[in-house]
Amino acid sequence: MRRAILLLFAILASLVSAETPELRLPLKANSVRFAVIGDSGTGEPAQYETAAEMAAVHDRFPFEFAIMLGDNIYGGKSPADFKRKFEDPYKPLLDAGVKFFASLGNHDQTNERLYKPFNMDGKRYYNFKRGNAEFFALDSNYMDREQLDWLQSQLSGSRAAWKICYFHHPLYSDARAHGPDYDLRKLLEPVFQAHGVTVVFAGHEHVYERLQPRNGISYFVLGNSGQLRYHDLRPSAEMAEGFDTDRTFGLVEIAASQFYFQVISRTGETVDSGVLELTQ
Amino acid sequence: MKRLKWPILVLSGAIAALAQQPQQANPDSPVVKDFSRRVADYVKLHKTAVSEIHRLKPTNSPAAIAHYEHQLAQRIRAARRDVVQGNVFTPAIEEEFRRLIGIAMQGPDAARIRESLRSAAPVQFRAIRVNGDYPAGLPLESTPPSLLLNLPKLPPEVDFRVVGHDLALRDVDANLIVDLMANAIR
Repeated sequence: MRRAILLLFAILASLVSAETPELRLPLKANSVRFAVIGDSGTGEPAQYETAAEMAAVHDRFPFEFAIMLGDNIYGGKSPADFKRKFEDPYKPLLDAGVKFFASLGNHDQTNERLYKPFNMDGKRYYNFKRGNAEFFALDSNYMDREQLDWLQSQLSGSRAAWKICYFHHPLYSDARAHGPDYDLRKLLEPVFQAHGVTVVFAGHEHVYERLQPRNGISYFVLGNSGQLRYHDLRPSAEMAEGFDTDRTFGLVEIAASQFYFQVISRTGETVDSGVLELTQ
Repeated sequence: MKRLKWPILVLSGAIAALAQQPQQANPDSPVVKDFSRRVADYVKLHKTAVSEIHRLKPTNSPAAIAHYEHQLAQRIRAARRDVVQGNVFTPAIEEEFRRLIGIAMQGPDAARIRESLRSAAPVQFRAIRVNGDYPAGLPLESTPPSLLLNLPKLPPEVDFRVVGHDLALRDVDANLIVDLMANAIR
């Protein structure tokens, strides 16, 4: 019964999208286009509504894939949970051929790496390339020596113009609930700087935040594609933009030395947008 | 005397830097060797269990993943029917681990590690037991990297997990608690 109600809700949500956001992405030829979601897997109506908004935007901005910043499946991990918290809400996108590349959050089970639609190929951490960008999905739950060595070796061997890392626990955050992971920051930030990482995405905090670039790295926190911690941001001088009153997802278009981004709320409001320029 | 100034400065800098480095587990110490041998014995048992049910490749079926995990855990559990807490963390190993964890938790990185534990969303669940499952639906508390780097290396079949104040050795694929060290994180 619950599943039928949610499915009905999903259909209605996809029919009645609250607002059609004005696209602020250039749709250039041969650009790399992707979406960003974090802390999505609740299976609650707000996740379905956000997913429906993503599907509506996909018609006008056909992104090829989506990166997931962890907490992909909250709570139970039964087949019904995978259906209700991932397969059903993102069905229009999956049917359209959008590939999801997951990273693991603290609410995920390590064996989610074996779930083919998450495209992790059985690995806790992995990388993939698209155009002039290379993506590094990390497991911030368990940053052991092997993973650190792997990351350093992969980053140093990468010739991509844009090196983008994503994982669950943020190195910087102005949210009250958890705050930044200082220990992870101490280890990862020097590696990112040494190897020219330009953009970092994290989740965990159930808000959206873009931080002021630090040493050439732009940090985004997007952990509100399903969950939300209302009014949780405590803005500091480090915050460039923030949004903590509804769910969001991100859109990115990489065209040569430009990285265009737009963050859209569940109701279709653009909460942030801009362009990053490659300086090196 | 002036000539000696730079070497002394460099040397004292190096000593200070060394003092800042966490003291990692010495893989050649008898206690760490014993730990590694016990883990290797467990991994051998794990691999035997995997060979009996065939390793699962990535699949579209969450049911197949759950089934694989369950089958693997069942076989391992049956093979270690009589196992008790302390099967890997013997008193001597536990003492060495407490020393290594203490170095991290009370050293210069202590405040950062505690902040990291706090930001990881601590798990408050006391009912895990050796040979039992890591409870489905219970979040995995992330292990602070500085703490992790201080502990002996593990093969990929197992990992260390902080569960509240306890430290668990977990079978990753079977999601099973291999051994448990109570009140390890203080």
